[in-house]
Amino acid sequence: MSLIDDFLARWREYRAPGYYEEFDYHWTMTVDLDRCTGCEACVTACQAENNTPIVGEEAIARGRHMQWMRIERYWEGEYPDVKLRAIPMFCQHCDAAPCETVCPVSATYHNQDGLNAQIYNRCIGTRSCAVYCPYEVRYFNYNNHHWDAPLEQQLNPDVSVREKGVMEKCTFCIQRIRQAKDAAKDDGRRRVQDGEVQPACVQTCPTEALVFGDRKDPESGVSQMLGNERAYTVLEELNTDPSVVYLKKVEADA
Amino acid sequence: MARSNALGLFGGPKAALAAAGKLRGEGFESLDLISPIPLHGVEEVLGKKKSAIKRFTFFGAILGGLGGFTLAAGTAVLYLHPTGGRPIITFPPFLIITYEMTILLGILATVLGFLISARLPVFRERIYVPESAVDKFAVNVACDAEADFKRATEILREAGAEEVTEIAPGGGQ
Amino acid sequence: MRRHEDIKFADVNNDIVRSLVETGPRYYVTLAIAVLITIACFFFPWFYQLYYGIGAAGMNHPTVWGTYLASFIFWIGLSHSGTLLSCVLHITNSEWRKAMYRSAEAMTLFSLMVAAMMVMVHVGRPWFIHWALPYPNQMELWPNFRSPLMFDVMAITTYLTGSSIFIYMGSIPDFAAVRDRTTGWRHHMYVLLSLGWRGTDTEWHRLGWAYTFLAVLIIPLAVSVHSIVSWDFAMSIVPSLHQTIFAPYFVVGAIYSGTAGIVTVMFVLRKYMNFEHYITKVHFDNLGKLLLALSLIWTYINVVEVFTGWYSNDSAELESLRYKLFGFYAPLYWEMILFCAVAPLLLISKRFRTSFVPMLILSIAINIGMYTERFLIVGTSLSRQYLPDSWGVYVPSLVEISILVGSIAMFCTLFLIFVKIFPSVSIYEVKETLPAPDEGKTQWQEATH
Repeated sequence: MSLIDDFLARWREYRAPGYYEEFDYHWTMTVDLDRCTGCEACVTACQAENNTPIVGEEAIARGRHMQWMRIERYWEGEYPDVKLRAIPMFCQHCDAAPCETVCPVSATYHNQDGLNAQIYNRCIGTRSCAVYCPYEVRYFNYNNHHWDAPLEQQLNPDVSVREKGVMEKCTFCIQRIRQAKDAAKDDGRRRVQDGEVQPACVQTCPTEALVFGDRKDPESGVSQMLGNERAYTVLEELNTDPSVVYLKKVEADA
Repeated sequence: MARSNALGLFGGPKAALAAAGKLRGEGFESLDLISPIPLHGVEEVLGKKKSAIKRFTFFGAILGGLGGFTLAAGTAVLYLHPTGGRPIITFPPFLIITYEMTILLGILATVLGFLISARLPVFRERIYVPESAVDKFAVNVACDAEADFKRATEILREAGAEEVTEIAPGGGQ
Repeated sequence: MRRHEDIKFADVNNDIVRSLVETGPRYYVTLAIAVLITIACFFFPWFYQLYYGIGAAGMNHPTVWGTYLASFIFWIGLSHSGTLLSCVLHITNSEWRKAMYRSAEAMTLFSLMVAAMMVMVHVGRPWFIHWALPYPNQMELWPNFRSPLMFDVMAITTYLTGSSIFIYMGSIPDFAAVRDRTTGWRHHMYVLLSLGWRGTDTEWHRLGWAYTFLAVLIIPLAVSVHSIVSWDFAMSIVPSLHQTIFAPYFVVGAIYSGTAGIVTVMFVLRKYMNFEHYITKVHFDNLGKLLLALSLIWTYINVVEVFTGWYSNDSAELESLRYKLFGFYAPLYWEMILFCAVAPLLLISKRFRTSFVPMLILSIAINIGMYTERFLIVGTSLSRQYLPDSWGVYVPSLVEISILVGSIAMFCTLFLIFVKIFPSVSIYEVKETLPAPDEGKTQWQEATH
């Protein structure tokens, strides 16, 4: 009878929707909009870290920018009484990511760190994930990009350079997470501790508006930020369950 | 005399059907009507036909349905890719795969059933009248003895056959 | 001109065999032009795009899908009337189907092939497209069956298989008839294609059953195929795409544009293949009635779509709706309404339905409108999504327009080859509508003449 029991146990496991809850980590980022000045240092850092191509003026004019991270700017009010709202926007690493289900070849899926992973080698470029993503944070390689000498010297050896016809997006600097996990393993520890891993944007943010950490560790910085009453997620009504949590800007007159 | 076939050519379906009915009434069992169009009323004359095609379609479709779900669920289990917070075995999408596979194998099995039950394709020559692909209706009777052949020829002529030929079994004209 | 009741069985064979073997210079010139346009407008730009990347097309950041996908839906839609209509009319025993179904089914087959080509053009790395097929491989990776795009792969494979088998099976007796009349390579080809068909009562009986079973299997299949194509869009959470009405909307739109396509093809066949006495006013009249009904359903669904969007009062839905009706693409939207909802009302008049040239013009206008519809579904919705920062405008590039023209030429090429290989009017089914040599008029003839 153990065969049937085994089958039933596995059936229940595969039918359980919260499969990702058993993962080791649940990497989370918080963005404190009260601290963000919209300086775009994070955008530059991301571009340097992740070998994001410099697409050039013409491609930008055609709407084909490739930065994995962008600062969305919204203006409020009429001149001269205007307010700028800057919202850093990048892959939200949703737990219920719409982009993952639509990929016909499983080029994007949820990995063991609870991250939304993109496998460039598997991607066939249907671009459906970009359509399904409500945050518009997936970028497509419309052509091959090149780095004028000596810029190719600064390419990050830990990150692959993507070819034409492939979708790409923010990875939460998965190469750094891997290194931190390796280092922890070498030290004989089971888990990465808070503060040991920082994506390039978090590392660069001058106002510390971005905080990164593991939500499963109750002591971590992000876990404590999550309880903040200003915390919200973008487009919450779509039930994508993002891993990026924003802290609302504090209004002077509110 | 060994077995031979009497083949009567008719100008129209009514006469051909009448001849076939009469032959059948006389006890000729091995009868073929060769016509350019599917004839209505063959069943009343030559008896009800049964074909195994529906069984092929039915079991093909069932096999396709089972195979479709197994394909979707089985491959999902072989290499676990959690996507979008959905279960590994998800019903709504896998049922669509099941649906399509049901129809695909249903179609393929129908074709197989058709080919087997109509005994096509053919690799050896069989009795055939090229005129019957245009506007002639042929009745082909297999006769065991010369007396039978004579009787069959008579019936065919009586029913209005324009031409009656004797064909050696297994060969063309 | 001969009248329908004067046609004898032998005339049918003669006329149709003549359409296969007698080939004038006009045919070769047309074929050469179609092939040249296919190469120049489809394959060259596509090869350039393979070399350069999808950037050769006009797609950009918010609008990552463009005319390639619109063309894909268009061609799939065009394929919808042929086999589906043929199946429905077969199981309902409609006599008027018999002269036109073969070419309608061919239209299904070839537009499906062109649609499959559009997928190849659409994806970023078509050289890896086989990864979307389920086959055991050394990577031990399988496609993701949870993906609406995988439903497409399965549905279109099944549909292509089903409709090629359906058209082939219906042609076997005709291949046999043509086999006896041809010589040389044609004879050998038809000997193989006819499988040794003789036309015995048993063979007809088996064919009848198998054909009906196939028809019954293909009707739900065809409906599912375009529903599944609609789910590529409706399963997303993009405002104005995430709608339950999409599946029926696409199915109706597909049958609508497909029926218009049949009218176009019927006109061309009638005019240039001398099938005047097989394809008659009756066919145009019936197709016209069908088009009128479909256009009304289509209009109704369009109204429902706008209405549900407006009633939701969701800011993203409202913006998407406003953009579609009054934004950058608004002229296209109103053109679509004019061509697909207003112009077909002319079909109310019987005189219009039975005039050939106006029907041709209307059928082409409907298909232009339906192409626009598909373009708008892709274009307007993707350029207005949730985050206003990512709004954009998409304009097709020259490469895309050229590939669209080339795909039409490819369809024409395939069709031109088809009319010389397949009897484009079914020989045996037309004979069924004629009086048998020893019978009077058939019911069909009494009703129509």
